[in-house]
Amino acid sequence: MKAAFRHLVRSRRRSILAAMAVVVPVWLLVLMLAMIGGMEQGLFASLTEYETGHLQVRAVGEGLAGGALPLILDPTPLLAAVEAGEAIAWYTLRLEAPALAASADRSLGVLVQGVRPEEAARISPLPGAVYEGRYLEADDDGVIVGEALLRSLGLSVGERVTLMGAHPRGGSGVTRATVVGAYRAPDPALERTLVQVDLGLAQRLVRTPGAITAVAGYVGDVDGPGDDWRISAAVAALQEALPPGYEALTWREVAPESAVLLRFMRPLVIGFMAAFFVLGGLVVLNTLSLSVLERTRELGIIRAVGAPRSWVMGHVLWEAGLLSLCGATVGAALGTGLVLGVQAAGGLPLPGAYQEGLAAFGVEPVLSLRITPLEVALSAMAMVAVGLVAAWYPARRAARLDPVETMRYDE
Amino acid sequence: MTSEVLIRASGLHKVYKTGQVETPALNGVDLEVPRGEFGGMAGPSGSGKSTLLHLLGALDKPTAGEVFLEGTAVSGQSEAALSSLRLHKVGFVFQAYNLIPVLTVLENTAFVLELQGVPPRKRENQALEILEELGVAQYKDQFPNRLSGGEQQRVAVARAVASGPSIVLADEPTANLDTKTSLDLIDLMRRLNQDHHTTFLFATHDTRLLDRVDRVVYMEDGKITRDDRRS
Ligand SMILES: Nc1ncnc2c1ncn2[C@@H]1O[C@H](COP(=O)(O)OP(=O)(O)OP(=O)(O)O)[C@@H](O)[C@H]1O
Ligand SMILES: [Mg+2]
Repeated sequence: MKAAFRHLVRSRRRSILAAMAVVVPVWLLVLMLAMIGGMEQGLFASLTEYETGHLQVRAVGEGLAGGALPLILDPTPLLAAVEAGEAIAWYTLRLEAPALAASADRSLGVLVQGVRPEEAARISPLPGAVYEGRYLEADDDGVIVGEALLRSLGLSVGERVTLMGAHPRGGSGVTRATVVGAYRAPDPALERTLVQVDLGLAQRLVRTPGAITAVAGYVGDVDGPGDDWRISAAVAALQEALPPGYEALTWREVAPESAVLLRFMRPLVIGFMAAFFVLGGLVVLNTLSLSVLERTRELGIIRAVGAPRSWVMGHVLWEAGLLSLCGATVGAALGTGLVLGVQAAGGLPLPGAYQEGLAAFGVEPVLSLRITPLEVALSAMAMVAVGLVAAWYPARRAARLDPVETMRYDE
Repeated sequence: MTSEVLIRASGLHKVYKTGQVETPALNGVDLEVPRGEFGGMAGPSGSGKSTLLHLLGALDKPTAGEVFLEGTAVSGQSEAALSSLRLHKVGFVFQAYNLIPVLTVLENTAFVLELQGVPPRKRENQALEILEELGVAQYKDQFPNRLSGGEQQRVAVARAVASGPSIVLADEPTANLDTKTSLDLIDLMRRLNQDHHTTFLFATHDTRLLDRVDRVVYMEDGKITRDDRRS
């Protein structure tokens, strides 16, 4: 091992070049992972904070129409179970129902979302996305609509819109309400379909006072996707406590399309980065092959004086291991340093095109980086492992040198 | 000098194959080396001296014939067993580049002891003792390339004897040295032979060195043509 280290020091220039080929992939991987970590964090935050909550409780069964959620006529037993569970730190009620929104001459299918306005800042992005008028107040009789819907209906803020709800038994409820505010969202489909009202108004629309479609809950001590297990645990516990006919769902189950994105980003990037690691490995292989070739005579002597093949093999692998370890450590340190620097600066500002849309939707228009020490350590270790695997071939060749043969090429 | 046989070689043949070409290097060599002998081997270039030394030291296997090293038959042994045999019983000194350039003189000398598993303190003391005996202890922390050829060869001899081998096989150890340095090196080896009863066998082109040995084996065309004992 001592000899392996001194070899590296002796052929310094070559070692540094090879180590650099190891530094770069680790550095890049740490950055990429931090970027994904930041994006995952952002997605998780915007999804769970504004849309789904960490978990939801719903009734099992058919909804009012189409893909709508079934009504929970009396949430009392449900709320008792939610409140009894220690894991759930905060919850709010929601009523979502398909409806028709109409102006004097036009009508469109929309989704009416009844919320408690005083709690909505925590469960909806809309309070921050209102660009004209105001957001809802407690027991508000007004509605908040998207700019696209407003335009389609030919209405403006302050005018009245007719909402027609549906109920399987009671027929549709009809309400005329004032548009008190309009919002903009990055997703045009959302802007065209989501209409937000006070919970009471939504209940009148489905002609079922006191009804909801979901309880959205938040679990304590959850900072990001890494704490997902707490949510799963809370959902499992809650499922046990719920009366029959209800189900507890994690945010992943509530919004599977978005959850899928979170699941695929990381493997994709890791797969892509694997190519860089292979490249780094090839450089290690090349460096050690050269080094073995140069030392043919010396390795022959070592074998002649009685070192077993395994010693020679180990010697070359040590050299590869040290080389990769130094490079990987430097790469990990540089990567972590950059991540910490960006974090201290409050994230990287995103290009202008994204800024407005994201800002409008309450998401910070910066790219934040996030990485755990475990991820950094694993990145570095992966590179060392690749280096060792790459060194296998030259190490084996060194071990199989015939000492007599090496002695013939004397001077 | 009465004699337990340390190495016995009988009917040794060695043919090197390089692709289609076959080069006969040894054509039936019988040889006994008694323990404690200080022997020399002479003969023209290509006569098979190096080949014979390699076979005697379990560094290579004969095409036919057998080598017994302290009674152990060398043929049929695994690569690992041969390594171990060399490690514990044989010391090699070659013509040049014997030392590992990235290790100091002391580390080079202790290297074989390290392979044998001798603990660090003990092997350093042992190595230092031998270096002192060979008059090169003052270079113990130097790297080999800072030493003269003669000094390097002394360190090589030190390494060869440090592990307490049964025999030291030296292949033209003085080929790159001037006459005086050569004679000094042989004298040092002779002294080690007398003080430690280590058996030596060395090949050389230099007939002046042969005045100092117990026995000279002459080789020609892969055969022993003369075997002079002078004791
Ligand atoms: N590894 C090898 N492959 C092929 N031929 C070899 C090999 N080693 C030696 N020979 C051949 O075997 C014969 C004996 O060589 P050897 O090296 O034993 O002679 P030597 O007496 O040591 O010569 P020198 O005094 O030049 O060192 C020579 O013809 C040589 O070319
Ligand atoms: Mg020779």
